[in-house]
Amino acid sequence: MTALLSIRDLTVSYRGDGREVPALRGVSLEIEAGERLAIIGESGSGKSTLALAIAGLLARGARIGGAIEWAMPNLQMPHSFAPPSVLPDISPTRGEISSSVAGTSFSTSMIGESGNEKAISPLVGEMSGRTEGGAVERRPLHLGSAVPRLGRDIGFVFQDPSSSLDPVMPVGKQIAEVALTHLGLSWPQAYAHAKTLLERVRLPDPDASMRAYPHQLSGGQKQRVAIAAAIAAGPKLLIADEATSALDTIVQAEIVSLIRRLVAEDGMTLLFISHDIALAAELAERIAVFRYGELLELGTTAQIVNAPRHAYTRALLDAHLGLDAGPLRQAGAPA
Amino acid sequence: MSLLAVSGLTKRYRRGGGTVAAVDGVAFAIEPGETLALAGPSGSGKSTIARLVLRLTEPDAGTIQFEGADFRSLGGSALRARRARLQMVFQDPLAAFNPRATVARVLDDPLRIHGIASRTERPRRIAALLERVGLGADLAPRAIHEISGGQRQRVAIARAIATKPSLIVLDEAVSALDVSVRGRILDLLLDLQATERIAYLFISHDLGVVRAVAHRLVILDAGRVAESGDARAVIGNPQSAIGRALVAAAPRLNRTTAP
Repeated sequence: MTALLSIRDLTVSYRGDGREVPALRGVSLEIEAGERLAIIGESGSGKSTLALAIAGLLARGARIGGAIEWAMPNLQMPHSFAPPSVLPDISPTRGEISSSVAGTSFSTSMIGESGNEKAISPLVGEMSGRTEGGAVERRPLHLGSAVPRLGRDIGFVFQDPSSSLDPVMPVGKQIAEVALTHLGLSWPQAYAHAKTLLERVRLPDPDASMRAYPHQLSGGQKQRVAIAAAIAAGPKLLIADEATSALDTIVQAEIVSLIRRLVAEDGMTLLFISHDIALAAELAERIAVFRYGELLELGTTAQIVNAPRHAYTRALLDAHLGLDAGPLRQAGAPA
Repeated sequence: MSLLAVSGLTKRYRRGGGTVAAVDGVAFAIEPGETLALAGPSGSGKSTIARLVLRLTEPDAGTIQFEGADFRSLGGSALRARRARLQMVFQDPLAAFNPRATVARVLDDPLRIHGIASRTERPRRIAALLERVGLGADLAPRAIHEISGGQRQRVAIARAIATKPSLIVLDEAVSALDVSVRGRILDLLLDLQATERIAYLFISHDLGVVRAVAHRLVILDAGRVAESGDARAVIGNPQSAIGRALVAAAPRLNRTTAP
């Protein structure tokens, strides 16, 4: 297996109440091309920060150190960001960004021209180049290297599809805009592509669904639309951040099965972020366990589930209340 | 006599020119000190039933007997007195409380409103309630938005037990908690049930949690009872289509080594 990306000594901190709050502390891991990797952790483990860092979606003011190196075949060259000790800090001089001590910041996010920035939009980090629609490529300020673009190279599915979809735009149009932006298609081609995608995510009556607004769909259907938008441009990496956590168990199982099928069909790499170790174990080939911003252990699913090395992983496994778990008390007559 | 008995419970909502029955002729009973779980997919009516039982929503039809009284016919002071015996804990205590209120204020309200303790006695009662749910009395002056999710849910439980209820409706009360916190909150609920003989109407979409804490289980589908019975028996051998689907969808760890 070859690595799709290598994360080395990644540190992210946010500023809150006038102090730096660390969210990730020196995380190193490799994501193999074509694998299904789950990131597991509880509140404050840093699992969502990791997803956002990979996607270039970290909030302004987040302080980043370390490196994320990509090896995507369609990129001109891998990029990395490095601490200022190695490279001069050439972050844009925004007022809220102080000259950095800990590292460089994802301080800017350029928003695409397509108008669907509320949806799965081409939000790009400061290191992104822009090539869509034959437009003149705008070189990033930082490092001048090509990096994966969210929407084109990375698909991102969030927990709450209601907040990632535009409430006043028909869902077909929202998906078509991703295809239009990233695939260089004409509008009719992009619209037809969107309908194919709605069929692929098994939305009932794709013709009618194309014209539906998000509020007319159930939570599970909205998440199917969000997934269709995320994969519209054929990304190499699909990131699902608690993508099924707001859904009931039955719909969750359907969405997990949908993700598994789409990832296999398109040969995508999957990064599955979840608090649910059992759900992760059903989907992922490898599991990384995070706590307090640190990577505690990483192994195959079988190894993590059956032979965890870390006591915390064992505690997470023991806390799982499955249909095969022992009761918290003896069943029987009420006290 | 059952602690709570509902029958023919029905609630319809208008939708697109017609009416949709969110709850359609549901019947069940809860005995003192018992945990009855309501499970089902989204839209099956389980949270609507919670609201109907609590009289936060008025049913279109059906009877609700609570502690031997016709709960639907109660009003005024009689309803207020009975409500002290029927408490609730929701999924998100941050949404249920004024976020700027202090922990002490949240616990002071029920003691004051239900005339349980005098003004001078209340601080001591609040400290005792906090201790009962595993929190320190030093938490009392803190604002609700400052404390952790697990601490907030403990405060919600302390508030619920302040009026010495016989029944607490728990609507997805542990669903938003981290698993390590969830286990300790479930332990607290079981401990309270054992010592105070409180019954729970335990609403959850998670059959794993239901199996761990509930005596009996009612599975709902589209506002109707699909099946009911001993919780472990129903989960072990579901008879209804929705019951089988819920069991099949529950994530499994398949550990080969004993925990």
